Amino acid sequence: MKYFLNQISREWKFLLAQKYIVVLLLCTLLTSGFAVFSGLQEVKQQNTTIERLIEADRLDREQAQTKHANVGSLAYYSFHLTYEPPSDLAFAALGERDIYPWKHRIKMLALEGQIYESDAQNAELAKSGKIDFVFVVSALSPLLIILLFHDLFAHERSNGRFDLLVTAARSTFSLWGIRSLVRFLSVLLCLMIPFWIGAWYSGVGVGISLVVTLLCVVYLAFWMALSLWLGNKGSNAPSIASRLIGFWVVVAFIIPILGDLAIKHQVESPKGGDIVLTLREAVNDAWDIPKRVTMRAFVATHPQWKEHVAVERMFEWKWYYAFQQVGDQKAGRLSRAYQDAAQTKYDYAGYVSWLSPPLLLQRKLTRLANTDAIAAFNYEKGIRQFHSELRAFYYPWLFTSEKFTKEALVDLPVFQPVSQRALKKSSQLIENKVTK
Amino acid sequence: MNGSYWSKVFTIAKDEWRYWLRSKLAISVLTVGLLLTLSSVIVTAINTHQLAEARASLQHDAEHRFAEQPDRHPHRMVHYGHYAFRTPSPLSMLDPGVDSYTGNSIFLEGHRQNSAMFADHRQGTALTSLGSLSPAFIVQVLAPLLLLLIGYSSISRERESKTLTFILSQGTSFFTVLQGKGLALLSVVGLIMLPMLGSGVIAVSQGESIAIVSSFFVGYAVYLLIWVLLILVLSSVFSKNSDSFTTLAFSWILLCIVMPRIASSTAANTVPAAGKLETDFAVLAELRQLGDGHNSADPAFAKLKASLLAQYDVATIEELPVNFKGIVAGASEAKLTSVLNRFAEQRMANELAQTEVSRGFGWLSPMVAIRSFSMITANTGIEIHHRFMRETETLRFDFVQALNKLHAEKLSYQDDANRGKSLKDARKARVSAENWRVLNAFKFQGDSANIRLSRSVMATLQLLIWAFGLCVLIRIIGKRVQ
Repeated sequence: MKYFLNQISREWKFLLAQKYIVVLLLCTLLTSGFAVFSGLQEVKQQNTTIERLIEADRLDREQAQTKHANVGSLAYYSFHLTYEPPSDLAFAALGERDIYPWKHRIKMLALEGQIYESDAQNAELAKSGKIDFVFVVSALSPLLIILLFHDLFAHERSNGRFDLLVTAARSTFSLWGIRSLVRFLSVLLCLMIPFWIGAWYSGVGVGISLVVTLLCVVYLAFWMALSLWLGNKGSNAPSIASRLIGFWVVVAFIIPILGDLAIKHQVESPKGGDIVLTLREAVNDAWDIPKRVTMRAFVATHPQWKEHVAVERMFEWKWYYAFQQVGDQKAGRLSRAYQDAAQTKYDYAGYVSWLSPPLLLQRKLTRLANTDAIAAFNYEKGIRQFHSELRAFYYPWLFTSEKFTKEALVDLPVFQPVSQRALKKSSQLIENKVTK
Repeated sequence: MNGSYWSKVFTIAKDEWRYWLRSKLAISVLTVGLLLTLSSVIVTAINTHQLAEARASLQHDAEHRFAEQPDRHPHRMVHYGHYAFRTPSPLSMLDPGVDSYTGNSIFLEGHRQNSAMFADHRQGTALTSLGSLSPAFIVQVLAPLLLLLIGYSSISRERESKTLTFILSQGTSFFTVLQGKGLALLSVVGLIMLPMLGSGVIAVSQGESIAIVSSFFVGYAVYLLIWVLLILVLSSVFSKNSDSFTTLAFSWILLCIVMPRIASSTAANTVPAAGKLETDFAVLAELRQLGDGHNSADPAFAKLKASLLAQYDVATIEELPVNFKGIVAGASEAKLTSVLNRFAEQRMANELAQTEVSRGFGWLSPMVAIRSFSMITANTGIEIHHRFMRETETLRFDFVQALNKLHAEKLSYQDDANRGKSLKDARKARVSAENWRVLNAFKFQGDSANIRLSRSVMATLQLLIWAFGLCVLIRIIGKRVQ
């Protein structure tokens, strides 16, 4: 044991004596620290934005509700905020949240015309991408590992110490193993310490932090093993590193780009514009076609209202909302195909990412942080569900002759973010179990 | 400097090429580099062409559909609305910029400013988050890597094998050696950029200004020149190949991979931008003061009514020669639009401020400088998205107001007021379909060459200062070694 510790402290001193390694490690620590810091900032901004929006939304709806007594116009003028707050882990994996929306406002009109509107962030910043912990680990750390490990053997060979070292050492491991271990641990710590601090600060569970750490260790170990394996085969350090960097370029850029091209070519998707166009035609035609045609199409999917669809006046709210619903039905097929195509593309990309370790890690971590496209798809489903809840709330008031009073508004559905809904469910389950 | 001086430089450059052609690594790097640029140029050109065709035909369809609508109440057409599509600029063949990150179609209707919809990236695979197959990305990020992989040892190799002393002792100055090596690397730059020239020629034939296209290429040439100079500098200051390699690789990681992202993260964190959703609340609050344009009895329009009655010297709105409902619709649209525009301008100014912060990092990284330079010149930066939003807003306002004018002048107040009474009355309150030709054909044009050139001044300066600084450094090193 003592021998082992001595070896470690020797290798540690050796490492600190090499200036460029110290600079490299310092840069790693700084970059990882900056990534975590700016990730925390971003998440904080998103959270405060959501808080402000919830408040503004409440005030706005209250005003609409006071101003309008008729249930039809009340529904018309009431907006509803939907949102998906960032998870605790989002600071480390900002993911696709700058491309897919995480906040959205909808009302009782046809949903297909509203759901594709996006409150996008600055496109130029989204294009260049932000720096987050996932980026530092998946894209950057392989390069750092390459720089640290490619010349482990070659360095000593070119200095002429190789044979001497090999003969003097007790075993191969006591020399190269410990030297690698010390370098590996130091780069790992430089990467992970900022993450652990960030995770502690934003309340990430120990389990999840461990999973992330484990994934990172495996990933970094892969790159270290690769560097050592190639490094042992050659004697010219730069040419070893060139090959390693070439491999990195292939798996980080080339394979994903080719995969992207192939998937886009393979998966047919309706044009997004056609969805809204179909909806527009449907909704506008409704004004010109006989009202019973609309009502018939409405009753086909909502048979419970078939006794209440007679329209006597030129304008009635129930007819108005019925044609909004029918519009959604007409555009629905295209819209589902569009969503399915997006889902299929993302699934196929999953296969491609098995050929690209950086992307594989990115996918795993953004999944854990719930910031990937799947999270965005779930959010969209959440909006759709909420919209149908709204309809379910308003339809009885619109279609029956029962007098609408504002007291009924206490039952107005309130949007629950998808992630919190799951939480609620599980805590309810636990409660149920406990009470049983 | 005379002929024999330059022939020395050429000999050194030729020797460097001979060395590359003998080295497996250099040959593979060169081949990969050429293949990458060539394929990216071809794929992006085809892609852009298809996008342009598709969007032009969608635009045509949208205009056609609008004109084909039957006789209607003019306000129905205000809500029927119109679509506008952004056709890509010619140079987006080389740098697609933000095209796939912003929506490229927008629905234009009365009383609202919609945001652009259906950004291609929302249907993406998330595979291209690290890089895309655009010539811009290949040249900005990968070309420097290729250059350093074949160039890192250009001086340090000669030093390590002691051939440098031999060359210098023959009367060749160190500066000449640097020039020769630089020339060899520059010829590689030329090779990498050659495939791009094709797209440049096509862009010119599509009406892009020659000044813009040439400055686009000069910008990229200066950028790659910066890398050549950096490679020469770092290759000369280290005596060992491995040291110059590590330092160069590290610089590349820092300048091309880390810095661009630090730039955008810093921009997003230092200039927080309220999204459209958030400003929409403020807009709504302000709009509530304006009155509902659908309801001419709204007290907010009392003043308008009084002034109209006075102007035509009549006692009631029924006696007015124009349809008061149409007048109200027009007046409220104008007021509403001015509010909407004010907030939209604020949002754009805010986005621009963010972008400026990110572009400022061009002083620290030439990659950031060329990226902004490239997008600005190619008409594919954030400014072009803003221009699209502004132009489509003008289009929207014009057709809505033209319809409101029809509403006021071609439809009598009586007919309009009675339209809710029966189907027959509703049919009376229509104007003929010929009037739908109020719509102007829309073809999106980017910013003019002059605007773009003046916008790119900062990025140009950043590039030039990098190049100048490195030249000075080379000069100093060249003298020192002698």
